[in-house]
Amino acid sequence: MKKLLTTLLATASLTAALAQESPKEEDFFKIQKLTAPEGTLLEVGGLTTLPDGSLGVATRRGDIWLVQNPTSRTPYFRKFASGLHEILGLAYKDGALYCAQRGELTKLLDTNNDGKADVFETVYAWPLSGHYHEYSFGPKIAPDGSFFVTGNVAFGDEEWWRGESRVPWRGWTMNITPEGNMQPWATGMRSPCGLGIFDNELFYADNQGDWMGSGGIVHVKKGSFVGHPAGLRWTSMANSPLKLTPDQFYAKIDERRRRDENGRAIKPENIASEKPTLLYTMKEQFPDVDVRTPAVWLPHGILGISNSEILEIPKGTFGPFSGQLLVGDQGMSKISRVFMEKVNGEYQGGAIELRNGFRSGVLRMAWAKDGSLFVGETNRGWGSAGDANEGLQRLVWNGAMPFEMRTVKAMPDGFEIEFTKPVDRKSAEDLASYRVESFLYKYHSVYGSPTVNKEALPLKGVKVSADGLKARLIVGDLRRYYIHQLTLDGVRGAEGSYSLVHPIAYYTLNNIPDGTKLSMSDVSTLNSATAPAAAPKAPATPAAPAKKAPAKGSKATTGAKPKLVEGQAVTMAKAPTYEEVKGLLTRHTCLACHQANKRQVGPAYSEVAKRRYTNDQIVELIYNPKPANWPDYATEMPPMPQVPKADALKIAAWINSLAPASGSNSTGAPKP
Amino acid sequence: MINPFTAAPARWLLAIGWTLGAGLALAQPAPPGSTPLPLNDLSAFTSATPNWRIVGAVRTDLGKPNTLQTEKGTGVLVSLPAEKKNSPARDLATTLQHGDADLELDFMMAKGGNSGIYLQGRYEIQLFDSWGAKTASAGDNGSVYERWDEGRPDGQKGYDGHPARQNASRAPGLWQHLKLSFQAPRFDAQGRKTENARLLNVRLNGVLIHDNVELSGPTRGAISADEKPTGPLVFQGDHGAVAFRNIQYISYDKPRPELTNLTFAVYKGKFEKEPEYDKTAPESEGPTTVLSSSVSRLPNEMLIRYKGTLRVAEPGEYRFNLGVPGGAGMLKINNQTVVPLVGWSGSGTGKVTLAKGDVPVELFYSKFMDWIEPALGLSIAGPGVREFVISDATTGGGQEVDPILVDAPTNTILRSFMDMPVEGKRVRVVHAVSVGSPDNVHYSYDLDKGALLQVWRGAFLDATPMWHDRGDGSSRPMGMVQRLGTPMLFLGKLASAQAPWATDTTGTSYRPKGYVLDESDRPTFRYQTYGATVEDKLRVIDNGQGLQRSLTVTNPTADLYARLASGSAITLLDNGLYLIDGQQYVRVDNLAGAKPTVRTVGSQQELIVPVKGSITYSILF
Repeated sequence: MKKLLTTLLATASLTAALAQESPKEEDFFKIQKLTAPEGTLLEVGGLTTLPDGSLGVATRRGDIWLVQNPTSRTPYFRKFASGLHEILGLAYKDGALYCAQRGELTKLLDTNNDGKADVFETVYAWPLSGHYHEYSFGPKIAPDGSFFVTGNVAFGDEEWWRGESRVPWRGWTMNITPEGNMQPWATGMRSPCGLGIFDNELFYADNQGDWMGSGGIVHVKKGSFVGHPAGLRWTSMANSPLKLTPDQFYAKIDERRRRDENGRAIKPENIASEKPTLLYTMKEQFPDVDVRTPAVWLPHGILGISNSEILEIPKGTFGPFSGQLLVGDQGMSKISRVFMEKVNGEYQGGAIELRNGFRSGVLRMAWAKDGSLFVGETNRGWGSAGDANEGLQRLVWNGAMPFEMRTVKAMPDGFEIEFTKPVDRKSAEDLASYRVESFLYKYHSVYGSPTVNKEALPLKGVKVSADGLKARLIVGDLRRYYIHQLTLDGVRGAEGSYSLVHPIAYYTLNNIPDGTKLSMSDVSTLNSATAPAAAPKAPATPAAPAKKAPAKGSKATTGAKPKLVEGQAVTMAKAPTYEEVKGLLTRHTCLACHQANKRQVGPAYSEVAKRRYTNDQIVELIYNPKPANWPDYATEMPPMPQVPKADALKIAAWINSLAPASGSNSTGAPKP
Repeated sequence: MINPFTAAPARWLLAIGWTLGAGLALAQPAPPGSTPLPLNDLSAFTSATPNWRIVGAVRTDLGKPNTLQTEKGTGVLVSLPAEKKNSPARDLATTLQHGDADLELDFMMAKGGNSGIYLQGRYEIQLFDSWGAKTASAGDNGSVYERWDEGRPDGQKGYDGHPARQNASRAPGLWQHLKLSFQAPRFDAQGRKTENARLLNVRLNGVLIHDNVELSGPTRGAISADEKPTGPLVFQGDHGAVAFRNIQYISYDKPRPELTNLTFAVYKGKFEKEPEYDKTAPESEGPTTVLSSSVSRLPNEMLIRYKGTLRVAEPGEYRFNLGVPGGAGMLKINNQTVVPLVGWSGSGTGKVTLAKGDVPVELFYSKFMDWIEPALGLSIAGPGVREFVISDATTGGGQEVDPILVDAPTNTILRSFMDMPVEGKRVRVVHAVSVGSPDNVHYSYDLDKGALLQVWRGAFLDATPMWHDRGDGSSRPMGMVQRLGTPMLFLGKLASAQAPWATDTTGTSYRPKGYVLDESDRPTFRYQTYGATVEDKLRVIDNGQGLQRSLTVTNPTADLYARLASGSAITLLDNGLYLIDGQQYVRVDNLAGAKPTVRTVGSQQELIVPVKGSITYSILF
């Protein structure tokens, strides 16, 4: 049997070799293991590299380890401290370690040099109500040497879906001096797990949830309001830097507190037919308030479901991406890459996947001295794509140059894409190689949001630079504040005619820059999809990877408004197979949280099948999930009315084919 | 004093909960009235020897072995075997003969004391002064004493003892609480034993120290080597001074009611209350022998209706406990509603007085919450009938969770939320830290108030609530816990000796500063209050008998006081110790010349002392 398997594998790799498949992310970025003594439970909540190259690892169980020679084959683990309360951040400064516990910022010192902390000094303790969700994150060290920490909201008792700030500074960022003076810094945070300093400024990342349509990274200034209203409860306190009161806020925005005839609170559900409220419109609603929308949205289910650490890539590290940012994601066990620029004085930019496949949820990252990246992981109680409960791994770039979009920049008339390697000019000058869509998320008290106001944008021309490293794309109907999804399925590299490792970028267009527009005489307007005679020959790659296949029917006619690619009707004489629905599950981001046979962030599809819903009921649950039906799962499912009914029905039919008694041949995803 | 939060709820067959830990255990029906053993005189006992007498109160000096001082009166049974005039000292047997029974009592040991309680005169629960013992052997307090076989080689004559799971003892002179459920051995018609006696559970000072322990035969010193369906309660009186009070028992000696002529009908649909059955045809129906959710093939959106006859042998009040997870249900007896409509909670109780004879029974179980496994449970308790499950005992599952237990083989610190019972409510201390020691004496400290919250003896912490799944951030002490009152600031400024103690830190400039560890990893806490810097050092007393606390206050403000203890009754004993509610001692070690005072504030008493620079005192428990 083993022999047979080996033969099959060999055949498979042979086929791949013949097909000259485009390289994938794992061909450039390798995930490696850090060996640790058996039984060392590394539910990582904090990571920091010390000046001598040792790695500090803080865990949710309250231990802090110092790991000597962490990039060697034999790292040495020394327990530096223990007994702390759910540590979710770790930093080093001037000979001391600092960590956020649930209830305080703590400074740890080893004064007698025995390798263990003996002073546990409370720098600042903040109030808590004792709700489980009151996690605290940080610290990140500001340029002036002070500390930033953030605090989660609690949830209601009856209104278990509603984020609440029960005591001061939950739902806030705090700025704390080394002497222990605390300045409330900004509010609107819901689950602010990700903190990062970039360009000497504070950025933070949140999780999807109520008032949070999707994750993203947000530039936080003193006095900013970033969306979740719970923390506004404390703006009347003397030291609050913003003055927007809850009354002022709720006078304009309906938080949808309703009760039924029995006096029971009603959970707000997504209203598919309404005209959606959008976060950026709060800037007009509250002109005196520094309302901050994400500098870069990280679309839910694609670049994360619970964004975590934000970390700048240092000079000379990770090749073409140095100076950019990495953003982890706990639920999807992945790391994305973010690049920003300042337009009209404000940060904005784009995000692209970097690496998937970590063993547990990516919570923390820290740079090793050798330019590799430590990745600290946990998923206990939260779930993640990587099904291990915890982990400490290392991401190593092997020095080979991947064919990627290095950056995307906003232009007065579209975008300029810079590549890491020269493009195949023919494919890059063909507008059929590109698609641009824009969309946004709702701003409401419902958990999560569907994508809304989605439009396909007309592509009018493209200019490829002489060195083949840049493509400037003229795009019509740009919308300020919207996420612009650039899909470069057809662009090939000059070398090997390879596809981009990650062909999709998500650019958040908070501002459209002024400047010179391209002259139409300078650009290629060729579109092979509309001019079949002039169609370029298919790229040399005999079989492009299935998931990167350009969508058929994408009639990106120059100038005219293209149609969105949505689901197609299917007839279901019999239930579809996994292979038949896999594309749909990916496209609609289902696989971010679900697997066929295994619990992930959400239940396995086979568990859903056991509930014996009808196909129509499953479709209804996709559009309006009932998280109360799945009390064992920490993370709610957002409403997904954007999934076309035909697709939803097909997915439902496949889910139901997984029921034990259905007698189906369908066995879910193939076993690895 | 049983802590409502740590006392593990009786493990119910229908672990229906999806919440953490034991989940939504069904409420146990209160046992129908227990009977006190009268202690006005010795008439409840047979032939009491002179060492036994009834007194009004007892007290002991921690330093004097085997002595109890008594006060005249009634209500306390005491044995004083050491006094010459009391010889010969013997054990004391009740006139009561018991089989299956629950027993509950308070007892007090003298220093070095040794006694025991023989169930049916044959199976001994050892009572012993185990104060300070790190672990419990079969000879320690609460253990099942060993059996004895002279035929075995030396050193192996004693066998089959059952040590308590942990040492949950209090100090001599403090009242301790024992509560147990006993099941007598069973015999066939020929008098041959068919089933061993069993301790269903034993709790010492609120801690479960035995759970479902089988007793293979009489222990050493039994009244007889044989075993019988009934026997007296025997109190050991010849080994050392001991006192008992509040002895209460329930005998379970009556036959159980039986369920006969049972039929079921299953209806398809979602029924939040009882439907009109004649409007729907059942999916299936028929006779059956057992109440069970498994007669329905529908996992959800279904209703099972059972009808049958309850055959009652013993008239009296019966209590019913109905478990209907994931839906609704109701129980009717004699066409009267006994357990009214049960909804979201998944379980309900009810009671009814029944005459001897047959009565019609009807119940339904409607299941419509699809995330809960179907299960149907019905238990009955009645006059002389211990609660038993009459439904299918194998149904029900719930989430099984591996507990996450934290030992303290070395000095061990763990911060967590700590739930405290305060006036019947739960107070969550959010900046708590628990400190465990290898001496098995542990404590929790409130960093928000510089206050000692609780001390305990035995096992350290159960961190399952914090570390299983996402957790709720809290952990729980596992041993014999002595709460130290409502969490309050330890240091306060009093304008006058009668001024009330501050309820929060307003105006105190209180600031926690964390802690430093000594060479053995023992913490000294630091904080600032009223401009003073405080170092608060807590150390386990060498032989594990308690905790010594030394406070150093730099730059104390004027009128600064420490509140050493609070309680309903604080008594200064002859030996200089303060007795707090009969449950702990406070020993003043060094107050730098200051004088402690006991003051009464409302219904509470407080032991307070002015603070000039340093104070040292100990809590013995």
